[in-house]
Amino acid sequence: MSEFDAIVVGGGPAGASAAIKLAQNNMNVLLVERGDPPGSKNVSGGVLWGTGLGELSDDWEKTAPLERYLESKSVAFLTEKSKINIDFSTKNFEEQKTGYTVLRAKLDPWLVKKAREAGAMVVTGVTVDRLSKKDGKVVGVIQDGDEITADAVILAEGANPRVAIDSGLREPLKDHDVAIGVKEVIKLPEKTINERFNLRGKAGYACEYVLGFLKDGVEAGGFLYTNKDSISIGAVISMKHLRQSNQVYSFDIMEEFASHPFIAPLLEEGRVDEYSAHLVQEGGLSSIPKLYGDGYMIAGDAAGFSFSNGLVLQGMNYAISSGISAAEALVEAKQKSDFSSASLSRYQQKLEESYVMKDMRTFKGIENVTWSKMIHKTFPSMLENVMMGLFKEEGKPKKHMMQLVLDSMSSSKIKSKDMLLQGYRMLRRM
Amino acid sequence: MVLDIIVMIKQVPDAEEIFIDPVKFTLNRSQARGVINPADENALEAALMIKDKTPAKITVITMGPPAAESALLECMGRGADRGILITDRAFAAADTYATSLTLAAAVKKIGRFDLILAGESTTDSGTGHVGPGVAEFMQADQVTYSTSVKIEGDTIIAERELEHGIEVVQTPMPALVTMLINANIPRRSSLRRRIDAMRKGIETMDHESLGLPPEWVGIKGSPTIVGSLKIPEEKKRLNKTITLEEIPEMVKELIENKAIVLGDDEDA
Repeated sequence: MSEFDAIVVGGGPAGASAAIKLAQNNMNVLLVERGDPPGSKNVSGGVLWGTGLGELSDDWEKTAPLERYLESKSVAFLTEKSKINIDFSTKNFEEQKTGYTVLRAKLDPWLVKKAREAGAMVVTGVTVDRLSKKDGKVVGVIQDGDEITADAVILAEGANPRVAIDSGLREPLKDHDVAIGVKEVIKLPEKTINERFNLRGKAGYACEYVLGFLKDGVEAGGFLYTNKDSISIGAVISMKHLRQSNQVYSFDIMEEFASHPFIAPLLEEGRVDEYSAHLVQEGGLSSIPKLYGDGYMIAGDAAGFSFSNGLVLQGMNYAISSGISAAEALVEAKQKSDFSSASLSRYQQKLEESYVMKDMRTFKGIENVTWSKMIHKTFPSMLENVMMGLFKEEGKPKKHMMQLVLDSMSSSKIKSKDMLLQGYRMLRRM
Repeated sequence: MVLDIIVMIKQVPDAEEIFIDPVKFTLNRSQARGVINPADENALEAALMIKDKTPAKITVITMGPPAAESALLECMGRGADRGILITDRAFAAADTYATSLTLAAAVKKIGRFDLILAGESTTDSGTGHVGPGVAEFMQADQVTYSTSVKIEGDTIIAERELEHGIEVVQTPMPALVTMLINANIPRRSSLRRRIDAMRKGIETMDHESLGLPPEWVGIKGSPTIVGSLKIPEEKKRLNKTITLEEIPEMVKELIENKAIVLGDDEDA
């Protein structure tokens, strides 16, 4: 007889969602989170896409710590002296509940509180050492030499899934599959943010950047999101490039981004309220491990469920959905008293039916496009050249836009055939 | 023989998350989460170190709001056997006298004890009164400013860290010892013990169960009156860079302005 029906390792969006769903179904569940308070070890860019919280709580729109709803979404290329920006603002976003900016220091405690209220036993400030196995099956967790048993364990331990790796349930992370995210939360008065970003009320702005000004072939993206009275700003740097160079540091890239001539004015007079760094899963479909086995399931970032195509970064929505799917699969398994791999395969099935695995499959290989010299170096400088050509007035005859593009390509030593091929690949994968 | 050890703790706002209200001069702790007062963690650890070697039963007590329960559960997670929350609206706004009286009443209700351990002072008031106050009410020997305590027969041997050295004190039990912050490295709680603590739950006491009349506790039982509060003005720094040759002149000037006082250390 196991002590718990389920043990959930990790109290982020994936783990807390699983614990809420399990407890709501009268399962005897233990949620273990190493951060105290919950969220103190967790980092996200800070946009929660979709209405996943609605599956956990009826009053989420009133009680969840949502900072602002998204109204404007931008994508921008930065070169040393320029910014090329595509801006999309729409009232549809609010009506369709498209996305919300959130702060994990508030969201995670809210989720864990919901789990506690639903009846889960929650222990914070304790780190699980490893899984307990018997005859090849996962039968619980080991912490400080003690075994705590459960019918099944849901591993939702985040982007650096140490327990899953140490227990041989997934491969160690490869440089290719991860990036490092560095983030600051800058405190500013609500009124100042509204003025700087042309926002009213609870409307919010989010922008993803390609940091095309970086030297030494380093590839990194940036993000900037508005919260109620703060700005979340950060850089995501490919691990491969950090590893290749001894001269490049993640915090320097963050500094360069924050002091860019078109970023610095947005942050002026702000005070740094939080500084954090975290691994970011960037491996896409190829990095997703086997998601279940005898007595266990893996959810959220620990399973590699995150998505980035350069236009948008998503992870928390997949975390919530996968956590819920794992819980539902476990509730079914409990009804059959069967926690074998075959029984828990329902989890994979549910993910395949939902948008989670569909997205992963649709955007297979996207990481090879988003992390490329073409996107990070060639494209930003070409765009800058074309724009300069269009607007510069120096008493010479003007050129057609097409000619400017061709000139820019030839100065960047790109063949039009390659450009078309790259463009085609990009469109196909985005 | 099993030693009965009582550890007195207080839940305080995390010092990193407190700021001073610039108008009212009060501490704004709205953003701060509750943590175990750091020196009290050292007091608990001292108790656990004794229990590692000698059979002992550790009871942790705290006076505070219901939310202080989490601090007791954490103590039980680290190895304490029992947690008691002394909570009552009537206890609100108690000064160190009323707090000591209330805690002493709780100690009496618990019954016998060999050793009481407490943090030397708290980060949110810093008086250092409560440990000695309880010792006086209990008429027990007390050793303050300790960095270590061990059991020898029917006595305790504690090391006191003073300005000019270490004083080693031996005294018979029962006794009360207050521990300095950073006296030891507190252990972490374990999952097994935290689960057991949550299942066992904590006990509570109020002014009625302690047999204390309401006028003896809380603000009514507190003789302390806070006259006014002020924040010391920040001193302006000169930030001068001087050359080696300028040093004697600079020192002379500082002595003349009484910024440096020459003479023997008064305690020496």
